[in-house]
Amino acid sequence: MSNGSRIAKRIRSTLFYIGALALCLPPVFVFVWMILTGLKTGVQNISYPPQFIFSPTLENFRAVFAQYNFFKYLMNSLIVAGLATGLSLLLGLPAAYSIAKYRQGRIGILILVARMTPFVSYLLPWYIIFRYLDLIDTYTALTITHLIITLPMVIWLMISFFESVPAELEDAAMIDGCSSLQSFRIIVLPLVRNGIATSAIISFIFSWNQFLFSLILSGPKTKTVPVAVYNFISYGKIDWAGIGAAATLIVLPVSIFAFFVRKSIVQGLTMGALKD
Amino acid sequence: MASVTLKNIVKRFKAVTAVDNLSIEIQDREFAVLVGPSGCGKTTALRMIAGLETETSGEIFIGDRRVNDVSPKDRDIAMVFQNYALYPHMNVRDNLGFGLKMRKFPPSEISQRVQEAADILGIHELLDRKPKQLSGGQRQRVAVGRAIVRKPKVFLFDEPLSNLDAKLRVAMRTEISKLHRRLGATIIYVTHDQVEAMTMASRIFIMHNGALQQSGVPMEVYKQPANRFVAGFIGSPAMNFVTATLVADQGAYFVQAEHFRVRLPDVFSSRLAAHAGKPVIFGVRPEDMNEPDEAVSETRGNTVAMRVEVVETLGAETFVHLTCGSHTMVARVAVPDRLLTIGQEMQISLNMEKTHLFDEATFQTIV
Repeated sequence: MSNGSRIAKRIRSTLFYIGALALCLPPVFVFVWMILTGLKTGVQNISYPPQFIFSPTLENFRAVFAQYNFFKYLMNSLIVAGLATGLSLLLGLPAAYSIAKYRQGRIGILILVARMTPFVSYLLPWYIIFRYLDLIDTYTALTITHLIITLPMVIWLMISFFESVPAELEDAAMIDGCSSLQSFRIIVLPLVRNGIATSAIISFIFSWNQFLFSLILSGPKTKTVPVAVYNFISYGKIDWAGIGAAATLIVLPVSIFAFFVRKSIVQGLTMGALKD
Repeated sequence: MASVTLKNIVKRFKAVTAVDNLSIEIQDREFAVLVGPSGCGKTTALRMIAGLETETSGEIFIGDRRVNDVSPKDRDIAMVFQNYALYPHMNVRDNLGFGLKMRKFPPSEISQRVQEAADILGIHELLDRKPKQLSGGQRQRVAVGRAIVRKPKVFLFDEPLSNLDAKLRVAMRTEISKLHRRLGATIIYVTHDQVEAMTMASRIFIMHNGALQQSGVPMEVYKQPANRFVAGFIGSPAMNFVTATLVADQGAYFVQAEHFRVRLPDVFSSRLAAHAGKPVIFGVRPEDMNEPDEAVSETRGNTVAMRVEVVETLGAETFVHLTCGSHTMVARVAVPDRLLTIGQEMQISLNMEKTHLFDEATFQTIV
């Protein structure tokens, strides 16, 4: 390799890292700032210029659990996100399979439209219906509303996975003695497990972070963590330290989880882009 | 084992007729090959026998049992697919035993049958591997093994060798033929490769545009093609065709083409009378065109002067692409002693007893 091309290569890689850093810096800064806010006292948080060097305290985290019953909110979020994800898979997998197998692209588009409609437009009808059914502040109402986010996502992600399963495998399964349902369960589902994992993870994250529906339809019994954080803002005071600690607690489990399964998510999202 | 009968089978996909009034009867223990070009309906026919496609009309019998409304799993058939269709998440052993497991066979019998199939196909060392870890040929063996363990009444093969390289294809061809003899099974084999059809079949069914063109033992369809399509499809290189006129002259019949005239043997005369003076298609196989000293012909007036265009030397034989005016033809000749040069003129003698004439309007065989 000549000197010139070596220098050009080094410049290219330097530029690449500068670009990557520029892209990553803003979200990473916000993330770090959020954690730092949780580790500062209330006074340190509003001091100007902002303090970067300080002695951290875990007092805010203790307070979040002690004063705000945060553990209950975490459990609520876990239940709602878990139910929404589970139900989305239960309904979405057969739906996506049917759309892929019987080439019902139009139904797929219709489902996408439901996902594209601004969520706020669902709120009023839902509120009226759930109040009529006496379901406000129940897991049922929250889970159903979260399905509008998670179900289309599962369906749309899974269509391409099911399309990638060769039809001959199902033919072979039928000849080998499977019913349609058995062929779906025993042959097709294991082959798309990467996709199932990806769509489950993404659904869970979206449901976990969902704020709007939970704000309107939850109550003291079913309040989820994003709504609980919102309660740190009162009429006369914003508890920045509490918000920082609570937000860190919300984001941390999901972030750690996503970090460990990132490979499978990337695999799942890019599958179908290239033929095997 | 069982016979398979298709009666007036029609399959339409919206406006397209994929199979058009197909009636065939495959005998018990027969190796039947459905052959034809892509889109001729052969695979659709096979899938209907398997129950993977529903026929628009007509009846299918396996043995004496009408199976139109019987699901694939209850037809007692096994199928080997073009892309092997091995279950990627199961190892070879589980792939082989899956059909039996679904039929609730006891594990001991499944294991015994899997061992038997592995013995027959020599795939013992592959039993614990996943399909991904196998070569194309090994996958093909496993796919065949999966059919064998079931001991079905009928084996269906859907172009099973088309994904293999040429050498492996020849080897597998022989193996499948041996397997047929060993199992004494009824096999219906679909291929677009006429060499496979000729070498493996006990009976060939040639299809075109969804319809059966001809059936018969391989040499019968080779020697006596029913129409121009069969004549052109069976044989490699393909039969040469020349548009000509059938001329009667002093009791003899001649093929009068644009640039040559050859005399037809007198034994054909009775069948030619009705076509005298009419346009015909003259067909001659490359192997029936030779240099005059090699010609096996009692007929005179069978030599045509042609110009050499391309010479393909294959070792044991040579294909010579020739032109005669606007006609182009291929001759299969023994390796010539002298070197053939492009552009040289060559006398080619046609083995007239083995030539064919087809009606220009109906494409049906005259002789």
